[in-house]
Amino acid sequence: MPETQLQSRNKLDIWRQREARIRKALNYEPVDRIPVLFYGVAWAPLSQGLPLSHFCTDPEAGVEATLDALDSLPDVDGINQPTGGLISVGLTSLWLSRVEIPGRELPENTLWQVHEEETMKVEDYDIILNQGWEAFLAYIGAKVHKPDLLEKNNEWLRTKGPGLTQRYRERGYSILASMDTTIPFEALCGARSMQKFFFDCYRMPDKVKAALDIGQSFYTNLAISGTSMTDIKATWVGGWRAASALVSPKIWDKLVFPYYHDMLTKLHEHGILCVLHFDHNWDRDIKRFLEFPKGCVLALDGATDIRRAKDILGDHMVFLGDVPSSLFAAGTPDAVYKYVQELIRDLGPTGLIMNPGCDIPPNAPRANVEAFVTATHECGTYA
Amino acid sequence: MPDTAKIKRALADLDEDLALHLAKESLDAGVPALDILRACQEGMLEVGSRFECQEYFVSDLMMSGEIFKQISALLEPGLKTGAAQCSGKVVFGTVKGDIHDIGKDIVVNMLRSANLEVIDLGVDVAPERFVEALKQSGATILGMSGLLTLAFDSMRATIAALSAAGMRGEIKVMIGGGPVDGNVCKVVGADDWGADAQQAVRLAKNWLGVHA
Repeated sequence: MPETQLQSRNKLDIWRQREARIRKALNYEPVDRIPVLFYGVAWAPLSQGLPLSHFCTDPEAGVEATLDALDSLPDVDGINQPTGGLISVGLTSLWLSRVEIPGRELPENTLWQVHEEETMKVEDYDIILNQGWEAFLAYIGAKVHKPDLLEKNNEWLRTKGPGLTQRYRERGYSILASMDTTIPFEALCGARSMQKFFFDCYRMPDKVKAALDIGQSFYTNLAISGTSMTDIKATWVGGWRAASALVSPKIWDKLVFPYYHDMLTKLHEHGILCVLHFDHNWDRDIKRFLEFPKGCVLALDGATDIRRAKDILGDHMVFLGDVPSSLFAAGTPDAVYKYVQELIRDLGPTGLIMNPGCDIPPNAPRANVEAFVTATHECGTYA
Repeated sequence: MPDTAKIKRALADLDEDLALHLAKESLDAGVPALDILRACQEGMLEVGSRFECQEYFVSDLMMSGEIFKQISALLEPGLKTGAAQCSGKVVFGTVKGDIHDIGKDIVVNMLRSANLEVIDLGVDVAPERFVEALKQSGATILGMSGLLTLAFDSMRATIAALSAAGMRGEIKVMIGGGPVDGNVCKVVGADDWGADAQQAVRLAKNWLGVHA
């Protein structure tokens, strides 16, 4: 057998081993080692010398740099969600906001950033109510997407998207979630801008609710149709401005929780695993997560008390812990190691996957990222 | 004569329509603008207390800030002739390389409602602009905000610029924003940090010796 084929088969064997490890963690079964996932959308290209301006405009270079970054780390099991397609297009689609990128609106090698502005005016709720969510998306999309990048992204998705999963597998890496979605609360919060949207929630909650009701099925179906195109039946479900610390309980109970509950229930009925990528602090409402279907994955970012969440939720959810981005950026390798060690001690050994909280920031020193992986191996190996 | 305590209550309860109506009614009835402003400031203090005991959350701070801003605009002509004395000055901004303004705006609103004068420099503020604003305004407190971990370097650079200008000893520096914590505060060399707007108000008042 030629050497390249042999290497490829070996990598697939490694992928199967890693995949089995992750499946066991997801099922609360004993593992030989706590699985460790990589997630560092900007860190990966920078670590491989790819400027962020290039990463933001060349989807193919982004995938290769991410795979190389995975190879450069000491034995990670996979990736939380694969880099594939242009980051600014993906973010714009979920946030319904313009995303400024390095090399265009921002200086080279700075991080892309969501531009906070009132793209959707208050009267635009009527577009949703009278013409539907897709008409609204077309209207807002024309304002927030960059046409050249959208076209490039769509072309890449058409030609390269279907083979993306296999490329990761052939390099030995599992993918936790193949799709992403969120609740319409997040989308409108981006389109209206956070302050304006929050004011809407106080001033005209019923109208906001009517709009969210129309958008809900779009975002649920996005995950169902997206995951149907791969054999990875798992989706990332995002929450950032819907976090408990940010939203008044009366708004959260009416405009946030019912939409997560409805979405997760429907996705669960379709056999789709939901990875709740929940940034910020959700402490106030953790108990209500018991109402979500059993078996979801809770990916926190260090702001929510993960130990208290574990005490309350037990094995109702699998935990992705949760190394904070500030620790990656401003901490020492010893501090990262200790954080991981204590997390494994307190939450392991079953139902736990080690993961960066949110994602690894671009200015995280490599030594800190390596400490995160090494600590998982050294403190979370059982066989 | 209308009762300004009702304005305080309406603001604290986030009843926007009622608070604005009462403020207008009071002004029309000849209540001094300064008295109405004080009632609003007391209402904002109550909002802060409810936030600290987790009855209120960030969206409530935003809403209270919006009501306060609208009433302040109504009062402005009357305040120009009054004697509204601020308790101190703060220079505030989101640091260079970061364009996020939501957290900054909440803190600026809360500081203003606590009777502090805030020079808001906006976002993506270079170290030298912070230094210049501190020199020009005579402010004794600098607040820096950042949502990105990349902001840490800019915070450190700004504090270095303060030192280079010979001003570090005179200026108290607070930082805040999503990824900021005690370790970051130490690493960048700030005097203190706040996890939320209410902590920023508390810090500023302590540094200024304001206890009301």
